[in-house]
Amino acid sequence: MTVSMFSLSTAEIAALTLSIKVASYCTLAICIPGIAVAWLLAKKSFIGKSLVDSFVHLPLVLPPVVPGFLLLLLLGSQGVLGKWLQQTFGISVAFTWIGAVIASAVMAFPLMVRSARLAISQVDKSLEAAAQSLGAHPLRVFLTITLPLALPGIVTGLVLAFSRSLGEFGATITFVGNIEGETRTLPLAIYTYTQMPSGDSAAIRLAVLSMLIALAALMVSDWLERKALRRIGQGLEHD
Amino acid sequence: MIDIDLKCIQGKFELNAKCSIDAPVLGLFGPSGAGKSTLLAMIAGLKKPTKGHLIVDGEYLFDSIRGVDLAPHKRRMGTVFQDSLLFPHLNVRDNLSYGFNLLAKKEQYLKLPKIAELLEVGHLLAQKPHQLSGGEKQRVALGRALLTSPRLLLLDEPLASLDVRLKHQILPFLRRAKDELKIPMIYVSHAIDEILYLTPQIAMLDAGKIIAAGKFHELIHDQKVMILAQSLGLENVLHTQLLEQHPDHGYSLTSIGTQLLAIPLTEAVIGSQVSVAITANNIALSTSRIEGISIQNQLVGKVNDIQQVGTRMLVSVDVGVQLLVEVTAKSLIDMQIGQGSTVFCLFKTQSVQPFPAINPQ
Repeated sequence: MTVSMFSLSTAEIAALTLSIKVASYCTLAICIPGIAVAWLLAKKSFIGKSLVDSFVHLPLVLPPVVPGFLLLLLLGSQGVLGKWLQQTFGISVAFTWIGAVIASAVMAFPLMVRSARLAISQVDKSLEAAAQSLGAHPLRVFLTITLPLALPGIVTGLVLAFSRSLGEFGATITFVGNIEGETRTLPLAIYTYTQMPSGDSAAIRLAVLSMLIALAALMVSDWLERKALRRIGQGLEHD
Repeated sequence: MIDIDLKCIQGKFELNAKCSIDAPVLGLFGPSGAGKSTLLAMIAGLKKPTKGHLIVDGEYLFDSIRGVDLAPHKRRMGTVFQDSLLFPHLNVRDNLSYGFNLLAKKEQYLKLPKIAELLEVGHLLAQKPHQLSGGEKQRVALGRALLTSPRLLLLDEPLASLDVRLKHQILPFLRRAKDELKIPMIYVSHAIDEILYLTPQIAMLDAGKIIAAGKFHELIHDQKVMILAQSLGLENVLHTQLLEQHPDHGYSLTSIGTQLLAIPLTEAVIGSQVSVAITANNIALSTSRIEGISIQNQLVGKVNDIQQVGTRMLVSVDVGVQLLVEVTAKSLIDMQIGQGSTVFCLFKTQSVQPFPAINPQ
């Protein structure tokens, strides 16, 4: 029992590596757009800002099945964009791991934006003014002052996004299905095992594994955040 | 040459600043809330004026009629703020060179080693801002602004957040920057002694308006100016020359014109200039020299102006330079002192506050 508890089957290993792959690509994909939208919402006022704000946050409040279904309508083989992608480039994202990345990116995006936005808006505006008075163009001010100072919050946002992606279930299963080795991530695998008569021990193994990954992600985030805070002379009491 | 005509309306507050500046250093003086910082922010381009114009050396930086509004990063103004605003994630060296690195090679007139030496921050280069003391922070902030080789240095109450001891650690460096680098400055403060230490040229701002501009000692004949200056604490600043050191007796002897002045012991070199501050209400008047008194300093001079501010009388005495003395109306009447009277200005050695020495490098 103990041995079988910790030796993973090929299918389980596939689910694990796929999950990490999808979550990593998802985090990578939303990093820059997330920061850009966060900056826009934190610093700029424009017509329709609250609409953009609500739209970005929509996946957070909708049942995950809904964004998944909308993605299917949009990017599925019969979808408006999906059809065009298929005909022009021969690309199909529905029912592929890339589709899983898209689904979790949509779900994780608001978490990233919320965290980065808060961090960016908390950067002392007078520091930015000081940089400008020293001759720095606004873009340079953002890259050399705002971004490094907002880094702890941005890192938090990225870890939240990574974790959200690991846990993503509803949008993924709706948009890309539950295909072993292609779209069956950890949560989908666990769900599948729980539906099987003899799947309990595999489900438990994967559940424990999920917890370990989540815990590791939180610890890495905490470490990165403290490192970033130390750079700006805060959080010294943690040393 | 700076030509300022800027208007800014913010709710109920209206700033209407009009003046032209030709002096190397201008002290912008006024009470809190007068609009000093707002004016400076408009000059730096960090705040947009409602209307008006700003011309520096013939170049329009702002003009509401022509639609000119040069972005702050293109104005070449060095600003030092009340809080040093050092970038917390960069060490002192990177803070200092932040603006310097953005200049074209041929515009880099001032180099880091020279500035670091001038401001005595060379040993701090590897440190982070949170490791510095308040005085060190302000020196780095000053150096950072100087290293952009600004055409105008804007100092927004750079000493307001420091205690007296730290102030005295910064002031000489400002003086050095003024004397050795010859960068024009606008120095904002509500402390008249700081301003007079750097320059006699001041502009007085009150409730959003420049009420007077010129040499301080000429301006104070104006009742309005006098009332304002008196409310903020009237300080005389004298630039004296060090003659003798008397460490055993705890004083230094200096001269001002032909008269002698005893001040608390300083570290300056004999022959060098020592600036001192004396508060107007620490000086007493007498119609004759008094013998047998512990007060060392008795400067003789002629009364050339008397102003009444509330129940206080402010007497300007020409002792070679102008000295402001604050006394009660009663004592003037009792002593029959009027314009043209010869008087002795009495003050204790210990009431003289020497500014720290600027030892030449």
